[in-house]
Amino acid sequence: MGSLASVLGVFDISLDKLSDGELWLAQFFRGLSDGATYASVALALVMIYKSTGFINFAQGSLALLGVYLVYVFSVEQGLPVAVAVVCAMVASAAVAMFIERVFIRPFPPDHVLPLVIVTLGLLLIIDSAVGIVWGFRTRSLPSMFPRGAPIEWGIAQLTWRTIGNLGTVVAVVALLYLLLSRTKVGLAFRAVSSNLESARLVGIRVGPTLGFGWALAAAIGTLGGALVVPDLLLEPSIMLRVLIFSLAAAALGGLDSMAGAVLGGLVVGLARNLLVTFLDLSELALATAVGVILVVLLVRPTGLFGSTRVERV
Amino acid sequence: MTAAMGVVAAGSRQHRRRQIIGWALFALVVALIPFLIADTYSPTIFGNRYTVGLGNLSQAIGLMVAILGLNIATGYSGQLSLGHSFFVGSGAYLTAVLVNDFHWSYLATLGVVVPGLFLFGVLFGIPALRIQGLYLGLLTFAVAAVFPSIIRLDEVADRTGGSNGLLIDSDLEAPTWAPLEKVTEWLHAIPGVGSRVPEGLTDRQEEAVYKYFLLVMVALVCFWLVRNILAGRVGRALVAIRDNPLGAAANGVNLPAYKTLSFGISAAVGGVAGTMLAMHSGFVGPDEFGFSMAILLIVGLIVGGSGTLHGAVVGGLAIQFVPHWSSQTQTLPGTDVALEGPYGTAILGGLLIVIIFALPGGASHGFRKIKSRLMPVAPQPPRG
Repeated sequence: MGSLASVLGVFDISLDKLSDGELWLAQFFRGLSDGATYASVALALVMIYKSTGFINFAQGSLALLGVYLVYVFSVEQGLPVAVAVVCAMVASAAVAMFIERVFIRPFPPDHVLPLVIVTLGLLLIIDSAVGIVWGFRTRSLPSMFPRGAPIEWGIAQLTWRTIGNLGTVVAVVALLYLLLSRTKVGLAFRAVSSNLESARLVGIRVGPTLGFGWALAAAIGTLGGALVVPDLLLEPSIMLRVLIFSLAAAALGGLDSMAGAVLGGLVVGLARNLLVTFLDLSELALATAVGVILVVLLVRPTGLFGSTRVERV
Repeated sequence: MTAAMGVVAAGSRQHRRRQIIGWALFALVVALIPFLIADTYSPTIFGNRYTVGLGNLSQAIGLMVAILGLNIATGYSGQLSLGHSFFVGSGAYLTAVLVNDFHWSYLATLGVVVPGLFLFGVLFGIPALRIQGLYLGLLTFAVAAVFPSIIRLDEVADRTGGSNGLLIDSDLEAPTWAPLEKVTEWLHAIPGVGSRVPEGLTDRQEEAVYKYFLLVMVALVCFWLVRNILAGRVGRALVAIRDNPLGAAANGVNLPAYKTLSFGISAAVGGVAGTMLAMHSGFVGPDEFGFSMAILLIVGLIVGGSGTLHGAVVGGLAIQFVPHWSSQTQTLPGTDVALEGPYGTAILGGLLIVIIFALPGGASHGFRKIKSRLMPVAPQPPRG
């Protein structure tokens, strides 16, 4: 027992903290809430990776643009927040479709590196464009969900926001599942993801299908942004942090697994909140995310649920 | 199109002579530039005043070496590393701490930075062996983002200065034997060109000129060493790994060894770049070495030309001067838009995409094409 206490002492852990059930629960709820937002941006990343085989580093920037559109529609135009979010999702989907058509489609799809670099360029352009248009002043964005908590145990509160965030992600996953498995465009999307050449040969219009994937991903990313930003303040660099956590989530679950993205998001959210609280690592929130990616990738290089690629020589 | 000069055979005497003249011209330009722009050169174009200061140039030289390091891991051996700023930042902070707390001279810190960062790069390269392609890009991107928060940790903040950054309390005064003052006087006396050179150097200018030459020397050594490493067995192995890993392995290239080696060399060169940047500005701050730098270095690599040494030079100049000149454009011709702040980054992003579209080999590939039109060289089969 003495040695355990000394080990804990190194990390500045007090046993009081560890045995505080309410604190655990409070951080658990907070972790779920954060995790839900990471999961939605991770879902967007996975959509692109599944269909095109590369990581869209501009996904966070598209979500940033989307969140600023939410701000414009709700605060400046005075629409109800939920309506504003839907409008922003549609608008950012249109922007993403345009970007896919102009910047992505001209490149041969089997050459991944140039495409990744193009998305890095888009990241720089979109982030600075947002800075140019809206400036660097911080703003607060209203949440879609009411304040307050229906369930409380001491300091542990299950807030409407947490419930709303989780509910939204569940709804997104359900709708996405229905869209991909029950509709014609979903079938086309799955065909293109599984084999682009064969899909083209059986007459699927590959370009528009990929454009649809981009639009869908941007809309989901915007929704994720609209969930996360009300907890923080809106300013142009905010989505970069979210992007890192979401990348960690996507890598954890496996870049081509949607279920993995959701689970990864929740794990990263929980790990972040619990580790930071109990190991007193407030400066190292990002580093814990990186640690999670590193450990998982070392054990399973394609994430928990990712499919291993078999290469033919 | 007829060539401006006749075709010469590679390795022939004419070709040698042409190469020697080229290098001599390069050396002359490098040696004269600091005196010409000691009084910041500032042309006015469309009513906007642009400056080319010696400070900008020195900073660009540091960035060239940073891109050179990135080039080894990404350009030559094809492992997407978006975390190179981590190595650069580590080198810069190592130098800053050694100079501040242990009173080392700047150049002496290289003795710790190079082996230290090499080891660090190798350690980083070992887990990277298992992680391939985009997963590696993703991990390195996250690592780059973490650097500032590590510097800000309470445990190290009293050494690293935390969020405030660290002012390095050591000046680089030109030694008394350096004839900078004399050279300035001579150059000033040359009719015509001399009018651009100041009559004498102020202390600050002398320090800047001295720093410039010091940085040029370090950079030349780095480029020379890297060129030699890459021209031999190691370079061939790395390029083979990039172009076809399976083929390389089948031909007896030890993939894990060379991949970790490439990360080691890349990190060591990156560390030197960090030392150079610390030397140049006398200050290190955590956010300088965050992921915006990591992305900028990738921009420089691609714009200059991935997998070429010249590319690093062009890339360093590009990521230094494009944002600098952009912020000096107070009125865009025909409009009243000032291209301040984020415009520079946006322009770099646009440049990146345009280069990938129009000139996938980067600017150095473009230069080479033009050069081969104007001064064609016929390749010769190797002797023996």
